[in-house]
This record gives sequence, C-alpha cells and structure tokens, in this order.
Amino acid sequence: MRIGLVCPYRWDVPGGVQYHVRDLAGTLRGMGHHVEVLTPAQHEESVTDPWLTFAGRTVPVPYNGSMASLQFGPVSAARVRRWLREGRFDVVHVHEPATPSVSLLVCMIATGPIVATFHAATTRSKWLAAVGPMARPWLEKISGRIAVSDFARRVQVEHLGGDAVILPNGVHVPFFAEGPALPGFGRGSGGPPTIGFVGRFDEPRKGLPVLLQAMRTVVRAHPGTRLLIAGRGDADQLWSMVGPDLRPHVTLLGEVSEADKAALLRSVDVYCAPNLLGESFGVILIEAMAAGAPVVASDLDAFVRVLDDGAAGVVVRRDDPAALGQALSDLLADPGRRAELAARGSRAAARYDWQVLARRILAVYETVLPPGGGVVTAAPDHDFPGVPPTGTAAGPPRIRRPRR
Amino acid sequence: MTPEAWLLLAAGVLLLLAVWTGWTLVRLRRLAARVDRAWATLDAQLQRRAGLAEELARQHPAALGEGVRARLAAGAAGARAARDTGDRELAENALGHELRELPADLPGVPAALRTDLAGTQTRVALARRFYNDAVRDTRELRGRRSARWAGLHRRRPLPRYFDIDDRLGGIGVGADVAGRRAS
Repeated sequence: MRIGLVCPYRWDVPGGVQYHVRDLAGTLRGMGHHVEVLTPAQHEESVTDPWLTFAGRTVPVPYNGSMASLQFGPVSAARVRRWLREGRFDVVHVHEPATPSVSLLVCMIATGPIVATFHAATTRSKWLAAVGPMARPWLEKISGRIAVSDFARRVQVEHLGGDAVILPNGVHVPFFAEGPALPGFGRGSGGPPTIGFVGRFDEPRKGLPVLLQAMRTVVRAHPGTRLLIAGRGDADQLWSMVGPDLRPHVTLLGEVSEADKAALLRSVDVYCAPNLLGESFGVILIEAMAAGAPVVASDLDAFVRVLDDGAAGVVVRRDDPAALGQALSDLLADPGRRAELAARGSRAAARYDWQVLARRILAVYETVLPPGGGVVTAAPDHDFPGVPPTGTAAGPPRIRRPRR
Repeated sequence: MTPEAWLLLAAGVLLLLAVWTGWTLVRLRRLAARVDRAWATLDAQLQRRAGLAEELARQHPAALGEGVRARLAAGAAGARAARDTGDRELAENALGHELRELPADLPGVPAALRTDLAGTQTRVALARRFYNDAVRDTRELRGRRSARWAGLHRRRPLPRYFDIDDRLGGIGVGADVAGRRAS
C-alpha cells in the first residue's frame, strides 16, 4: 500500500506527535509498505531521509500548553500539491488536522481517502474553540478518524463534532526492553537507588518542582538516592530550583538520544511522572514499563488509564509532594513490590507495541479505501476556489476562506 | 444612499449568497460521496461476515454442535435476506449475537478462519463507526437553518444511521483482531 503521512510539527524538534509519525512510518515500512512523510522543520537540512519531504518553516504559536506550528500560505500549498501528485498515495494519514497547519492544508487540497489522528486532549482550548468550526468544512473530508485516547476522542466529539476510533500511541517495546544500562548506573547492580525523570524540565506542567520537593523526603529515608533527569530545558534554572541541599543527589543528562533514554529507563529503579496537567496519553510511561521500570505517576486520567487503573503502577495525587515522596520511599524500600509492578508493567506495555498497533491502523486504512482501489490526488481546481489553474509552483495559489 | 450605492450593496449581497451556496453545495456533494463510500465498505464487510459465518456453519458442524450450527446458519441466512428487504439492523444484530456467543476455542476450526472472522468483525466495527460519522456530518450540515431555507439537496433523502451491536465476543479472545486470511 502507498501511504502518505503528514506531521504538522517541526520534524527536528522532539515531540510526541513527531515520534508517533516517525515510528508509525518505520513500522509500516518494515511491513513492506511504501510510506512517505510530509513535515515542516526548523532547518531544511535536518530533513534528510529520502522518504521525508520538507513542507516549509512554521510560525510557532502557543497551543495546548506547548507550541503548535502555524503554517499557511502559497508556498506551503504548492509543496503539498506537489507531494500529493508525486506520491500517488492510496491513503493519506494526517495528524492533528484541527490546528492551522500543514495537516489542515492537506485536508483542503487532497481528494481521496483521508485518515486523521487526533492527539490533543485539552478540553478548554481557546485555539480549538476558535479554529475548530472554521476548519470544519475540510475536516468533513476525513473518512476515518482516530483518537489516541478517550480524552482525545472527547475533544473531537465536543469541539469538532465527530466520532473517532481509539487507537493508542505505540512504543517499540523491544527497543526499550532489551539493551545496555547507562554506564555507572544499573538496576539491581547494588549501587544507590535511582529515580528517573524524562521531559522538558523547565515546563511547570511536567511537574519537576513537585518531584524535587518529594526528593527531600526520599533522601531522608534513602540517603544515597539519585535522581536522573533527561530532557530539554534551561540548566541554570534547573539548578536554582534544585538548591544546594539536593544538588549532590541530582544528575542532569540534558537532551539525550532515544537510545540513551531507553538506557536510562532500563537503569532506574523507579520511574516518576509527576505531571500536573495536559497529558493526552503518556507514552513515556509505556516506555518505562517496557524497559521494566516500576512507575510512580500522578493521577492524571490518561496516566491512570495507561497504568491499568493503577494495577501496573503506583498512582499519586497530583501536585502533592508529601504523598509522592512517601510513595517513592515505600517503593524503594520494597524490592518485591518493584518486581511485581515491573512484571505487570511489561504485560501492559506489550499491548502498545507498534507491531500490534500498526496492524490495527492498517485495518483502518483498508476500511476507508474504496472497494475498487483509488488514489489520493490534489483536488481539481474547481473544488478549491481561488487557486490558479496551473496549480503548482507556477503561480502563487491564494487560499480563500469560505463565507458562511 | 444613492441608487448606485444600493445597487452595489445588493450586488455584493448577491455575490456573497452565490459564493456561500456554491461552497455549501461542494460540501454537500463531498459528504454525499463520503456516505456512499462508507456504506459500500460497511455493506461489503457485513456480507463478508455473513459469508464467513455460513462457511463456519457448513464446514465445521462438529465443532459447533447442532444447536449452535443451526442458529448460526439461520443468523447468516437472515442477514443475507435482510440485505434487500426487511430490518437489516435487526438481522445483523441477531447474527452478531450468535457470533459473540461462540466459545473462544473451537476445536477443529482452522486458525485462519477464526482470525478472518475476528478481523472481519473488527472491520465491521470500524466501517460502521466511519459510516455513522459521515452520516452525522451530513445531517449536521443539512440540518442547518440556512441550508434548509436554501433548500439545498432537499430532494435527496437524509442518510440514516446504522446501529448494531458490534462488540467482539469470544472469537476475539486470543485471535488477531486486525488479521485477515491470506487469499
């Protein structure tokens, strides 16, 4: 099958949607399908793989607590058209098309079977409330809608007026389950107990301040405990947050590669996700469980769901450093419970393996394909008012909003 | 205002109306095509399900037992008959109920057939979700006051939702729910 994936966010900036698209593309290619990805990027040079197509630069705007990529205009439209014409896809799969991004552009321009995946789970997004109804005429072209969680589906139902099947985010389980540990650390190696945290540590909604507060309780009970932090952010700001008393207990790894992240997850005795809000899914929890790390997470709905209602991990009230510290100390003191949680976590993570999920996504593709087969193309011009008949880069196509 | 200004205003309003009507017609035409496509897929998957149930009842009576075999065959025949006349949702529900009641382990039934059955049931559920989604979008747009007043697509019947219980029963246990038999 020829499949075109569209990622609305910059490819060279780490993010959940980007990883989702990359892993889905990789898995489908491994299954023998032809997959191409259209994506914006910060630097055109970083779009190197032959199956990637650069869709232009984007204007970042705040959305859902982080930055979304705004992208519109004649150059982007021309690139989308060319990509669609040259790709001759059986199905086009856009991600997060409700934001004014290259995904929405593809929905505007493409004709043929379109599948969309919705990731965002905020229910009070001014952006979505404002942009959702305007995008509706083009979102109507989507034949199959997927949501990555119940919460993403709820956003879809409430703000955009449509249903969606739920197919969660995937994880390459073997990539996290097997491999070396971080040098100098290692679960069960007799060294000091370690707690892991992965994420943008200077973003308050990721909850690192709560974890640091809780660490003060933990180091009283387990004096040698180390906290390993990996992720992007301002290091100076972090160290001022940590303070002199915790400083010897914190190791900052900074931005790490995927392989190092997997090694970190395999090394830590406990993985902690103290997030305060805004997580649609919690892929990192599944990655930690796949790597065999027992998980302590805040009680966000999405996390509770991923942790099998608390059976596969410890759930703590969010923004409660005392409870978090207690839970971490108890778990570090109880190897039997850690082993039990790790075993349950591995079973829970297996359901999210990309091999399993990619097959279910393929079933969605098959369902939206017309019986005789077909191909996605750029729309004929009469279907898309305001574009000169030459179409491609010959002239700048103007995009006109419909009047309602 | 001068008569010219009035004329200009009227022309502007007319132009806006024409653009809006044209755009709404484009949307309605697209939605109608989407409903048709989604229905064709759902219909094909339902027929496939009935065919597989027939195959199971015909070729593996020993695994099912006489009572189950007869009910499954009747369910499949009913679903086939209801395609042209009768209450299709009711007939498909009856067949779906029989399939759900099947035990998870059917001795002697090839794994390929069970996988195919589970995979087809998954696709029925997907196709039904997508069809109803298309119907919902169409009804939303057709139901708007502006579209009703303009009488757009007034002659066409409103598409109907298709509601059946498509939960996966025992057949889904241990089977690959995304699977398909190699043909």
